Amino acid sequence: MVRLTAVGSRRGALTALALVAATVGLILIVTAVLAQVRAPQPPRAVGQIDAEHTGSASASAVPPSVASTPGATGKRPLLASLPTRITVPAIGVDSKVLPIGLAPDRTLAVPQPGPNLNRAAWFKNSPTPGQPGPAIIEGHVDSDQGPSVFFKLGQLRPGDTIHVFRKDGIEVVFTVNAVRDYKKSEFPTEVVYGAAGEDPVQPLLRLITCSDFDASIGTHTGNEVVFAHLTATHHKGARSTH
Amino acid sequence: MRTSLRVLVPLAAAALPFAVMAAPATAADGGSSYQTTLNPLNHSGGSGMATVSVHGTSADIKVSWTGLPAKFGGGPYPHVQHIHIAGQGSCPTMSDDKNNDGVISTTEGGPAYGAIGTTLSTKGDTSPAAGTNIKIAPGGGSTSYSRTIKLSSDTLSSLQDGTGVVVVHGLDPATLSKKAQKEKSDLVPSLPLAATSPALCGALSSMPSGGVATGTGSTSGVEDLGMLAVGGGLLALAGGLLVSRRRATAGA
Repeated sequence: MVRLTAVGSRRGALTALALVAATVGLILIVTAVLAQVRAPQPPRAVGQIDAEHTGSASASAVPPSVASTPGATGKRPLLASLPTRITVPAIGVDSKVLPIGLAPDRTLAVPQPGPNLNRAAWFKNSPTPGQPGPAIIEGHVDSDQGPSVFFKLGQLRPGDTIHVFRKDGIEVVFTVNAVRDYKKSEFPTEVVYGAAGEDPVQPLLRLITCSDFDASIGTHTGNEVVFAHLTATHHKGARSTH
Repeated sequence: MRTSLRVLVPLAAAALPFAVMAAPATAADGGSSYQTTLNPLNHSGGSGMATVSVHGTSADIKVSWTGLPAKFGGGPYPHVQHIHIAGQGSCPTMSDDKNNDGVISTTEGGPAYGAIGTTLSTKGDTSPAAGTNIKIAPGGGSTSYSRTIKLSSDTLSSLQDGTGVVVVHGLDPATLSKKAQKEKSDLVPSLPLAATSPALCGALSSMPSGGVATGTGSTSGVEDLGMLAVGGGLLALAGGLLVSRRRATAGA
């Protein structure tokens, strides 16, 4: 009798403990799973780049299918003025823009840990946005702190707008005409930085970030490039660019 | 929170997606490419872009510009253009206007951009000797110039050390000061100063090679691994407790 009671209470305690452990365990797992974030994977190719149908570009994975002629809507180029801020409403980007140069290995340098890590960077040897040719603005997809400024770049599609604010107070508006996901090993330097095949007198913009993370080597193997062309300029006088 | 992916978490990790793409990350695009934006000099109002892609000793050269004067004496305005070399690798400013006539002449710009290294002519001679040959210069108010040219060793070495500068010449005389309008060209005395003075300038610099390293992959793996581990551990513990409960029952 005594023995049975002891067994019974032990069984009850074990059941309660198991229930508590299972419940807390499940809550922790569900919370952690819900906290998982992942950059939207860009498509291999959407939209059209003039370079690709003049035959001067490196082969792209998918031939362009969307008909659009960026040149037809081209705007008159502006004089040089440093970009200070970029907004991309479709993906909630609003960032200061810092100038950046080449790394010692002659690749484009990237924002380093510190206050600028999660900000967009403009390549200072490229045209300032609104000048003729392709202005280059890059940003991290993620950093050790989690999602970064261009985390959602893979969601952009032709027709979305990118707004760059310049030191001279002019806001330049670019419209996306193509999105490409390149392997870094096949990155078409001259198409992206040199506008090979496109009308280089036209003001162009490229947004660049990383894509295709390879967990087995711990690095991104791709670069996503958003190709855009100037579609509007707004002269708003000297506006602050906090 | 980010810990090693090698940590195995029972129950939890199996439910999570892993993006694994096997592709080598190597450098892309051999050769050297240079680019510049062409900015106006002498208030020419023009603008443009130039790229120079070197393959061995020759280069694919593209120069596009717009907004320069279109007509000269009834015909298309000839705009001689060159890669200048061995100067300071920069474009002149108004402080280089030594005679204060309001125009930076080709000579006054010399210390900044250097001497002619290669003439970007439309055909024939590309040596410095063809530098003022208006018969083989692009004509009109805008151009989209493309030519593969064998570069001299002087031009190649200036490109490499960052002192190559693209200069396009030819101003609208009406935009010059009264004084300057009466002046003769410092290069070809039979021409007015406007005809040979620099209108666009851009210092060539290296294009970045290959792609960019804009990510650490922190969002590509499993975040909150510790939370998952503790959660999984608690589930395992619950399982264990239930087993011992059954044993207790069996022992009764």
